Amino acid sequence: MTNTEFTILDGGMGTMLQSAGLPVGMAPELWNLTDPEKVTQIQKQYVRAGSQIIFANTFGANRCKLKGKADVSEVVRAGVAAAKAAADGTDTKVALDVGPLGQLLEPLGTLSFEEAYDIYKEIMIAGAQAGADLIIIETQSDLYEVKAAVLAAKEHTKLPVWVTMTFEASGRTFLGVSVGAMALTLQGLGVEALGFNCSLGPKQLMPLVEELRRWTELPLILKPNAGLPDPETGAYTITPEEFAKELAEASSLGVACLGGCCGTTPDFIRALCKELEGVSPAERPKPIYKGISSCRTTAKYGTVHVIGERINPTGKKRFQQALRDGDMDYILARAVEQQDAGAELLDINVGLPGIDEKEMMIRVVKAVQGVVDLPLVIDSSDPDAIEAGLRVVNGKAIVNSVNGEQAVLDRILPLCKKYGAAVVGLTMDSNGIPNSREGRIEIAKRIASACDAYGIPREDLLIDCLTLTISAQQEQAVETLAAVSYVSREMGLNTVLGVSNISFGLPEREHITVSFLTQALYAGLSFPIVNPNQDAIMDAVASFRALHGEDPQCEQYIARFAGRKTEEIAHSSAMTLSDAIARGLKAETAALTREALAKMDELEVVNSLLIPALDRIGEQYEKQQIFLPQLISAAGAACEGFEVIRTGLAKKGDSAISRGKILLATVQGDIHDIGKNIVKVVLENYGYTVIDLGRDVPPERIVDAAIKENVSLVGLSALMTTTVGSMEKTIQALHESGHKCRIMVGGAVLTPDYAKKIGADFYAKDAKCSADIARSVLG
Amino acid sequence: MTAKLTRIDEREVLRYLGAAKAPDPELKERITRLSEELIAVTVPRLVWRRLPLTADNDYLLAGEDIRGILKDCSEMVIFAATLGMEAERYLHRAQVRDMAQAVILDACADSAIENVCDHFCTDLAALVQPSFLTDRYSPGYGDLPLSHQKVIFDVLDVTRRIGVTLTDSGLMLPQKSVTAIIGISDKPQRHRRGSCMGCSMYSDCIYRKEGRTCDKH
Repeated sequence: MTNTEFTILDGGMGTMLQSAGLPVGMAPELWNLTDPEKVTQIQKQYVRAGSQIIFANTFGANRCKLKGKADVSEVVRAGVAAAKAAADGTDTKVALDVGPLGQLLEPLGTLSFEEAYDIYKEIMIAGAQAGADLIIIETQSDLYEVKAAVLAAKEHTKLPVWVTMTFEASGRTFLGVSVGAMALTLQGLGVEALGFNCSLGPKQLMPLVEELRRWTELPLILKPNAGLPDPETGAYTITPEEFAKELAEASSLGVACLGGCCGTTPDFIRALCKELEGVSPAERPKPIYKGISSCRTTAKYGTVHVIGERINPTGKKRFQQALRDGDMDYILARAVEQQDAGAELLDINVGLPGIDEKEMMIRVVKAVQGVVDLPLVIDSSDPDAIEAGLRVVNGKAIVNSVNGEQAVLDRILPLCKKYGAAVVGLTMDSNGIPNSREGRIEIAKRIASACDAYGIPREDLLIDCLTLTISAQQEQAVETLAAVSYVSREMGLNTVLGVSNISFGLPEREHITVSFLTQALYAGLSFPIVNPNQDAIMDAVASFRALHGEDPQCEQYIARFAGRKTEEIAHSSAMTLSDAIARGLKAETAALTREALAKMDELEVVNSLLIPALDRIGEQYEKQQIFLPQLISAAGAACEGFEVIRTGLAKKGDSAISRGKILLATVQGDIHDIGKNIVKVVLENYGYTVIDLGRDVPPERIVDAAIKENVSLVGLSALMTTTVGSMEKTIQALHESGHKCRIMVGGAVLTPDYAKKIGADFYAKDAKCSADIARSVLG
Repeated sequence: MTAKLTRIDEREVLRYLGAAKAPDPELKERITRLSEELIAVTVPRLVWRRLPLTADNDYLLAGEDIRGILKDCSEMVIFAATLGMEAERYLHRAQVRDMAQAVILDACADSAIENVCDHFCTDLAALVQPSFLTDRYSPGYGDLPLSHQKVIFDVLDVTRRIGVTLTDSGLMLPQKSVTAIIGISDKPQRHRRGSCMGCSMYSDCIYRKEGRTCDKH
């Protein structure tokens, strides 16, 4: 396919199958096996109407939707065969049609990225074997799911891969994917064409087409519905001629690949062909946007973007402890905190001796992108960890980093190319860091040519001219700045700098750091890597943006500073730790815990202050003097106190105080986890270590974890009557395993009698009660 | 008819939180603030169909209860409504930031989806005049099994139209979603949902403004 000639696709399939007699409730793909000639007949109508590519009847041919009613590979092969029969004797090509799985991916859903990949792989292999000419992944609203599908297609077939996603008029998909994020990510993954299908009519999709043109040079696909359906009847209302006229507008925007989705029939395709006679797609202007993206947020090249550096164990004892404990909550809190402080990308570094960096990278990337919207920087020197991170990242990431060593370039750049990532190039090589600006520029040029050789676009190379500490090498600061200036202005490349290092070893570091940052930004630094939690740093960035016209009307500057007061945490001397916790005051609790630590040791603070304070709260809750939100607020405040304790212990090299391990899970089939999470917060703040297996957890995983972690108390949650059965199964499995542990259960539909009946040791009516049970079992 | 979310009922939220008896002002203030935030981020969505109650459509019903409700009806409306992924993500994030806030937000969201459904029913009542609506009835109520979700999802094409997915165990994601069946009848219908005071449309109700109620207008 080219940008200069039209390729006509087919129209709707579902309604055509229904009017051909497909029984209600039957999966349409099953007809590929039972009534292939009926499928072929419909597709022949499209071929006769002028479709140059017809989609095989394989939209829902996947394990999630067929649910064992038929073998997926067989259904796919039969579907492709039926379409090939329709195209027989013509130039019409057959596309393997790949629809969404209908299941939401983690973390908001239950399907893992790897499972999705596996399910798609089965379809891709079968489709290629059956002789499909190309693969079209369509009607998708989750970019992560699309990524799994594209990787499955690219890794197991040689066919061209086209993608169309379904957008709302707001310019986003149901999952919030933006047009820019789609374009950056899919272009990076090497798809051959992309566009939109379904959800709206041609007219409503035009603004989205205009936006997409700004992001990509790839051929564009448009397969709209026959207008908007009548909500009352579900019927589509525009005529084939109206549809064709509206859709032909897209040719003036340079869309080359046109067809129809819901509500369109062979008549629509015929009308479209007629409308396009003698017309060619208009020439498209060059795209104007490039950049990095998560699935929802893009960082466009050309302006300054702050990369948050706090997800990194280097020199941070508390973070190292969190990595060793697999404490995702601590790491996620660092992610959220940086996003709140204004970071636009997050650097993810989880390298620590004794930690499986690859596994940890996968866990942290998945967890972080589940709670923040920011594009990620995969920071590692281990190629396996880099690839693992790139694979599971949802969007277009940056790899941090390569350097001028050929061996490193040869190992890492192919990964960047395959996953469509940008890459940071450090201006150093096996001889170390050159002292002169010229030396660094020379390495930057070498890295740039290597990127050319591997087909990585120049704009996706971000050069790091390296910050050296002025207390050790004072003359280096100006060399770095000069190199940044050259790389940015003369070579036209993006630049990165880890800024904070400049002031290492000096008093009042912030002054030097901020001043260096400002000068580097002026020299052309586009991606500063900083600690965004330091106000002075972000203030400097805000000021720079205002001064350089990146902040129109100084709006962001004004929003940042107008009405800013310097707030001090002033607690009256009369306030006790117990009061602070009762009122849910986090900062005060932390401050008072620190004060207490000056007088007694960690264990004493926990046992004589924190726990008794929580007990008092618990009593008030039982007497209904306070309610759930206050109970949890108090627990959250106490958490800050415990955090001070943990930080203190981590600094001393002690592991955290724990009163014992408890395993928690929401049982298989159930996705309600807020109740379980409340219990988790409360238990943690009573000093227990909670292993949280999440929701929809199969019995065998709970048993395995209980044995592996040698847990003596297991808490199970279920909200629905329909899932209490799987709670019972889990309890049975725990008993049968022979692992000695007590089991507590909770959830809206349970009663003490019922808990007993299904074999639980305890019924926890609420979070407070679960803490009492924990105390009776673990002490 | 578009999906609308205008109001989160404070008393309902307090009830969900088990704090209806003695709410403290601080908690009420948090509910007000979080309700505003939730309404601001939420993009409610709606899909529905009006169908005759014919033998052909009988497969859309299951159990005795719903058939009882529809006994005087010649038509029914099947609908699905959701607070959408935006709200779902907001609730998920709140659990990372601040669990106490998450608990309040979750209760606010429960009230919010009711408000979306109430708006739909009010609009629908106006549309079907002079006919009357029955109560809305959802899979999981009485003897209408949760497994019936699948049938409703298919007929409305829910996933494609409003982005709600169904797990194998019949639960919806985003979690704050509702599907239901409503009957349309020539005769006034008895409502079991309690008095006007308990309705989340209380302040906006078009019937009440005219001194009427939705079941006896």
